[in-house]
Amino acid sequence: MKTPRLSPQTLRLLERFIERPTAWRYGYELSRETGLKSGTLYPILMRLAKYSLLETKWVATEDGVPPRHTYRLTPNGVELVRATFAGERSALKVRRPAFSGGKA
Amino acid sequence: MIPAGFPRSIAIALLRFAIWIAPHDTLDWGRGMLSELNHVEGNWSALFWSLGSAGVLAKHALVALIFPRANPSIGPSAGDLFSKERPMRKPALAVIASCVVASLLLFLLPVVRQAFRVSLAQWNHILHVQAPFTRQSDAVLKDLLRQAERNHDAEALAFVALRTSGSESARLADEAVRLDPNLTWVYAAAGTFYRPSFAAGRVSALEQCDPQNALPHLIVAERIDLEQVDSKKIPRSAEEEPAGWREAMARAFQSPELDTYLDRQKRLDRRVLARYHVEDPFQAVSYEHWYGLPSYASQDSSLYAELLIKSGESLEARGDRKAALAKYLAVARFGEVMGADRGFFMRRELKDAYTRLEALSQLEGNKAEAALYAGLAGQLDKTWESQLASWRNSYRGSDVTHWNSLLVRLSGLLILFFASLLALCVIGVMIRSHSVKLTSLRSSVLTLTLAFSSAVGVLLSSAVLFVSYWPYSHALQRFVSAGDEFGLAELSSFLGNSQLPLGSGLRIGSWYVEVSNVVFYFWFAVAILCVLALLLAILRHFQTRPRASIPA
Repeated sequence: MKTPRLSPQTLRLLERFIERPTAWRYGYELSRETGLKSGTLYPILMRLAKYSLLETKWVATEDGVPPRHTYRLTPNGVELVRATFAGERSALKVRRPAFSGGKA
Repeated sequence: MIPAGFPRSIAIALLRFAIWIAPHDTLDWGRGMLSELNHVEGNWSALFWSLGSAGVLAKHALVALIFPRANPSIGPSAGDLFSKERPMRKPALAVIASCVVASLLLFLLPVVRQAFRVSLAQWNHILHVQAPFTRQSDAVLKDLLRQAERNHDAEALAFVALRTSGSESARLADEAVRLDPNLTWVYAAAGTFYRPSFAAGRVSALEQCDPQNALPHLIVAERIDLEQVDSKKIPRSAEEEPAGWREAMARAFQSPELDTYLDRQKRLDRRVLARYHVEDPFQAVSYEHWYGLPSYASQDSSLYAELLIKSGESLEARGDRKAALAKYLAVARFGEVMGADRGFFMRRELKDAYTRLEALSQLEGNKAEAALYAGLAGQLDKTWESQLASWRNSYRGSDVTHWNSLLVRLSGLLILFFASLLALCVIGVMIRSHSVKLTSLRSSVLTLTLAFSSAVGVLLSSAVLFVSYWPYSHALQRFVSAGDEFGLAELSSFLGNSQLPLGSGLRIGSWYVEVSNVVFYFWFAVAILCVLALLLAILRHFQTRPRASIPA
């Protein structure tokens, strides 16, 4: 399966998604939680969607307010993110002794 | 005072415009950004949200102009620059092809071809192909000579003789005069420039043809000077000159006129240029800054005038005022014969002669003549100052001419650069696609962007070349077709500047970039290539950089 490049900003966003994997999230909400500006956030979302790691849906809100575009990880996305995070954590554990005085 | 809701209104308008220009497959994303705008707290925050979002959509719009979307939901990212090869999009190919065709059509215009040749003239000196500011024969002249000899065209032979040197120039001048004796003056025009190849026989023919002219005598004096230079006996004053020289200069000073035949040469040039459709502007204005006298004529005139004045002084001391007056008058008369432009180099002696004539007239009690000579002496400085300023302006050319010359040289270089880049891209795409069929061609975004930019660059550079050179081409056409010399001096300055390599005369730290400093151009090109390689390496690094670690 092809995967996008995981920049620090992408990882920060994926962390938010993985906290509540089944919940649909709004763009502005994600921007506030991650601190990413719209110019950074949307290219990441678009790239994740391109690789089928993210799905999108329009949801109606209260009357008179236009529907909102919402996002959540696909099962593939959840799987990849978990695998990536697990791999990175173990890598961190292996690496840590070299930089922290030998304590694993 | 800005209304509170104004930034939000701007934000909405901006985002709507971005959605309007965005490609179809990003519409959902654009609308999503717009709907989120309703929930952004704060009007200024809404504007910043809109700016960021509009930037994303604008980038996709730009990319969509060049590249097809394999995946309809998303465009390529910056990291795909090298790795993704996709079918080439028809609009991009159409734009590239249109630019190339338009450039080729521009090059069908003789003006553009001529301008391009002029833009390449700067390389003649750098590559030591041809020295600038000389009349070295080149392909144009060789071709013209072939036609002239085939047609037994005396004027065309004379045209080539005036632009070649040595024995070849003498041979062609002889042949031209044999075919048409009215062209004997060519001996003078060619002889004054390339004197070593001319024998006394030709000067005699010139004297017989135009006995009133001082020019043949100046040529004889110059030949004697050159013989002395060859034998390393350089005279420091007129007294040290041989009798032959003094005789030649005496005859020159007695001649009633001085014709350098520049007018005849211009008329001949016009006829030959028109007859053989010669499009080389360097051949048309080769004499513009040449004042038409033999190289040594100014120095010889000055030395001989000084000799006459000294002789007049001694005659005056012996009480022979009449003979002294004749000497001073001879200097003054020759100064007038030479005219303001050519008499420039003997101005000191001429002023001296007028002052002495004034003094003699005072002694004779002729106040009217004394006032006349005083007035003439007073006018000399002003005349020469204005003549000098006129020369300087004519030689340097206007600021517009300087800029146009720079643009032409730059455009020529850019055309070569972009055309080479475009050719490399096309060859690269064909090799990687293993095909020459349009439908089978595949390219990366980088290749397509480079090809696209190069094609546009070639077209723009060609257009700039055309616009910058057109006024000078027009001036040349007016001269050839109607003899209109207006603009010829500017054309000459323009061509002179165009032969200077770009960047020559620059001072970089302690390094002065000379006209012929080919080493500078080599290392400059190497530095540019290194910078390009560095940029490509950085782009590749961003594409393949290691992924970031997850915070613990």
